[in-house]
Amino acid sequence: MRLRGVLPRLTAPNACWSCGAPVPTAEPFCPTCKSVQPPGQADHFSRLGFARTYDLDPKLIERRYFELQRKLHPDRFATRTPKERQLSQAQATSLNEAYETLMDPLRRAVYLLRLSGIEVGGDGKTVADPALLMEAMEMREALAEARSSSEVDQVVARARSEADAVRSTLSTHFSAGDLKSARTDTLRLTYLDKLIEDARARRLNVA
Amino acid sequence: MAYSEKVIDHYNNPRNVGSLDKGAEDVGTGLVGAPACGDVMKLQIKVSADGIIQDAKFKTFGCGSAIASSSLATEWIKGKSLNEAETIKNTEIAQHLALPPVKIHCSVLAEDAIKAAIADYRAKAQTKS
Repeated sequence: MRLRGVLPRLTAPNACWSCGAPVPTAEPFCPTCKSVQPPGQADHFSRLGFARTYDLDPKLIERRYFELQRKLHPDRFATRTPKERQLSQAQATSLNEAYETLMDPLRRAVYLLRLSGIEVGGDGKTVADPALLMEAMEMREALAEARSSSEVDQVVARARSEADAVRSTLSTHFSAGDLKSARTDTLRLTYLDKLIEDARARRLNVA
Repeated sequence: MAYSEKVIDHYNNPRNVGSLDKGAEDVGTGLVGAPACGDVMKLQIKVSADGIIQDAKFKTFGCGSAIASSSLATEWIKGKSLNEAETIKNTEIAQHLALPPVKIHCSVLAEDAIKAAIADYRAKAQTKS
């Protein structure tokens, strides 16, 4: 059921809660009265001032994150009203989530696909891509059979170089708008990242 | 998260771990994965001429629930006909192992692996005849 048009709209969209002036989406402060705003529905890209794109410079993500984090830090609101303290907290939480999602290439790809209506994971759905699964199984077996830390390192080195290659084709597919191939690559990266993560635990169990 | 005793039992003493000859005519192989967690599961069946599953093996790389689900699946399908094995539902596996809601997808994976192995066997039998 759609509620739009049924419920009376009390305020214009993105009107500042304090002075009523319009506030652009993803803007943490009212341009008119400088009050901190609720985080709202902005996506992670616009929150950090980026277009929806896979190719992002990690240094730039970091810079924008720290700039905003400084302005939104709860310490700066310690003497403000409870409402402003609560809003700055909410802003800081959304900002952290945006930062963590965009900094990790895999999470960024999953998120970008989700914004286009494509779910990569999702419970209860099974992958049946034979080439992808065969590669995953083969590397898993190699890891399980590794008997020394140098053998584990070899598997990890292979997984890392595969993951680098996938990240680079992922970028090509996203810029070409080929979301189907981008989804396949994202799945491969899920498996490779998981393997690299599990290899860390495995490394502790071998000599 | 606490695993049920049955999950722990299958995890510590998995039944039927291993591989069958993928190329053999009487062997069907199902390979499935869970995209959300990066699990991968291989389940193989060896089928007699009259359509009975004589042997089943699995190899699963994933969490305890995924390992327990596939271990239980191989136990259940052994000695069953293909048609019987096909009717096994993930809900039965989940219920038997008392899987929590967040681990239901592991039982789905096991059901899909059984179906994929049967489909692979049937596809092979078809090309043979």
